Amino acid sequence: MTVKKIMCCCGTGIGSSLMVRLNVEKVLKQIGKTGINVVHARTSEAVPGAADIFVVGGDLAAHVGELPNKIVLRNIMSMNELQDKLTEMLEKVEKEEN
Amino acid sequence: MIAQMLRKENIQILDQVADWQEAVRVSVKPLVQTGFVEPRYADGIIENALELGPYFVLTDDVALLHGRPEQGVIEKQLAVTVVHKSVDFSGDKSRQARLLVTLAATNGEDHIDVMATLAELFMNEEKIRQVINSKSAEEVYQIFLAAEEAALE
Repeated sequence: MTVKKIMCCCGTGIGSSLMVRLNVEKVLKQIGKTGINVVHARTSEAVPGAADIFVVGGDLAAHVGELPNKIVLRNIMSMNELQDKLTEMLEKVEKEEN
Repeated sequence: MIAQMLRKENIQILDQVADWQEAVRVSVKPLVQTGFVEPRYADGIIENALELGPYFVLTDDVALLHGRPEQGVIEKQLAVTVVHKSVDFSGDKSRQARLLVTLAATNGEDHIDVMATLAELFMNEEKIRQVINSKSAEEVYQIFLAAEEAALE
């Protein structure tokens, strides 16, 4: 399926989720992906169907429920970790049937 | 812009604080004194931390302290607190920080440019170390200004 939306989540939807969103946008630009809407939100808004891919910091992983296509970041400030995990997830999701 | 989001008078350098809750109160205080947040903002940050854990320790030595707009933000702004003795936010020293950046945001979006500056700074261990080793508010301020320039490049 085509990935249209990526949601980055944190406790308040104000701080770290926005920072991760900026990093996701950077990675997408670097790997030449366009047309993906990247948003940031509170973990409570992260529900199945709200986005195609979810990104959350490891400290908050327990606060999001069962989500498909969830990336859990060990270090939310690491661009390398994000790039590896996001690239892998995009490949996986794009291979999936609708 | 840092020029609008950070005042030198809201940068403080301290030797130590009693515990993480005291660190939050001390870090929020300049924003209360300059009218950017209500005193209850510190309570909100502490409540969130008790509920969700110390996820706001973004990387080694850096905490981004913030609550939600409705927890007492008056106007968007930053404050910076350097504490020479690490503040243990987790109780087991797995999440410690000496650089505490307090963020007051009025909504989820309007502080996006300053977050790009903070991201630039927080992804650079050398710059984090420079902030922690700063001798004056002026020095800290200049590092934030430089990070903003780097973020715009």
